[in-house]
Amino acid sequence: MEEVVSIEKATKKFKDKTAVDELSCSIQRGEVVAILGPNGAGKSTTILMMLGLLEPTEGKVEIFRMDPKEKAVREKIGAMLQEVSVIDTLTVKEIIQLFRSYYATPMDFEELVALTGLKKEEMKKRADKLSGGQKRRLGFALALAGDPDLLFFDEPTVGMDITARKRFWDTVKALKEKGKTIIFTTHYLQEADDVAERILLFHKGEVVADGTPHAIKNRLTKQSVSFIENSEVPLDEIRSLAIVSDVYVKNNRVIVVTEQTDDVLAYLFEKRLGVKGIEIEKGRLDEAFEQLTKNKEAI
Amino acid sequence: MKGLLMQCRMEIIKILRNPYYVFWSLLMPIVFYVIFTRIFNNAFDNDQEWQAHYLMSMTTFSVMGSAIMTLGIRLVEERTQGWSLFMRITPISTSAYFFAKMVGQTVIHILSIIVIFTAGGFINRVTLSPLEWLLSGLWILLASAPFLALGVLFGTMKRVDTVSGVSNLVYLLLALSGGMWMPLEIMPTIVQKIAQWLPSYNFGNGAWQIVRGNGPDVSNVLVLIGYLIIFMVLSSYIRRKQEAAV
Repeated sequence: MEEVVSIEKATKKFKDKTAVDELSCSIQRGEVVAILGPNGAGKSTTILMMLGLLEPTEGKVEIFRMDPKEKAVREKIGAMLQEVSVIDTLTVKEIIQLFRSYYATPMDFEELVALTGLKKEEMKKRADKLSGGQKRRLGFALALAGDPDLLFFDEPTVGMDITARKRFWDTVKALKEKGKTIIFTTHYLQEADDVAERILLFHKGEVVADGTPHAIKNRLTKQSVSFIENSEVPLDEIRSLAIVSDVYVKNNRVIVVTEQTDDVLAYLFEKRLGVKGIEIEKGRLDEAFEQLTKNKEAI
Repeated sequence: MKGLLMQCRMEIIKILRNPYYVFWSLLMPIVFYVIFTRIFNNAFDNDQEWQAHYLMSMTTFSVMGSAIMTLGIRLVEERTQGWSLFMRITPISTSAYFFAKMVGQTVIHILSIIVIFTAGGFINRVTLSPLEWLLSGLWILLASAPFLALGVLFGTMKRVDTVSGVSNLVYLLLALSGGMWMPLEIMPTIVQKIAQWLPSYNFGNGAWQIVRGNGPDVSNVLVLIGYLIIFMVLSSYIRRKQEAAV
């Protein structure tokens, strides 16, 4: 494993407000990491520190074991940032070629165009005349221009329609296949769930949860087995089982809350209770998200 | 190096595609030139000298304009749109980027000088010796440095509206009171006195002297260098303060 990002007790204060508070984490080569958290949790500040655009007040942020401001680092990173708009009177093609010229080993032009889905007729358009979606695609192309090993996407899909969004994430998956390390923030939890292998959940400038989407959901949300209500089923008996934390009836369905859904199912079949319409409910990421950020003291 | 060359080329293309540049720095000076030498030209005895003089006025007017306005407004736009920040994560250094902007601007100034000089040659058959053409062109190119520094200084402003308002106003005031639109001799004495200390008058006067067969006054050079230093010191002071505020 090669450590690509290492953050050690980084703190960032703006005047008297602490945006990031003694944050530590490390990201390995090839990981796809989603940074989640409510507004003001310190996501963007952390990304800006990783990019070397903000200096931590205390602590250390390193990329490829170097200061993020090193030229050698900038040769190998790419980013799509919020609030960066291309205002140039240059055409899309000119800007892409310009950006490619900045890097020692740029991505092949044709490959870049194919990856970002920019169309032929868009290449001749001036950047300041592009639509919102086209601008995002151009931003994506600029992030990839240097064929970077490490990519940052800060809220990349804001303003994209569903097709564009799907296309974007498909490309991200393809980039992952090539061994790129990808760090992104998003407000769409589903995206983090679908794409990321690892989620860093930020709250008040700290990492409050770090793990696979699955692990985070399991740890934080309740799972349940439910079936259609049936008078022959002994609810009290089920309730008394050690693996069951609660049993209740809702909309004519019996809901058995448990952490071991498999064992509950085994029990139901073993006793031949003749239950019908069985469903297993897994926690959703947004529930976990809500729980973590609302009552942090519970963790 | 490849990146730097490419950046210079793109900076030039950007300015050429800017309608303000084409209008204010190429079209307006030529139109003014026609108006004040072909239409209202009775007031002056020495036609030949007036035509050469006014050609210099319009060329300095043009170059001063693109130095102050194109550069200043552009810098503010790039900062407010996050572009300057974005450039900092690419391998091209901030100083190389800035250098490319200056090179681009200089090439544009050369172009403006050639276009307006050529127009003068065609419109009025202005005849100067090859040395005079060369020297006046060189003077205009080199002595525009304080205006580039002024553009950079204006480039530290926070809002695009402010910078375009301020730079327009300063540009027109400088042009008018520096004798670029009409000779200083027909202006009130007070304006003439102030003009001696303005960068625009000293910029123009160097070229006016060259087409009369003289050289720029020492005072012209000194005043311009003074302004160059003041503007550079001011803008680097403001830049440092802005960076510290982050």
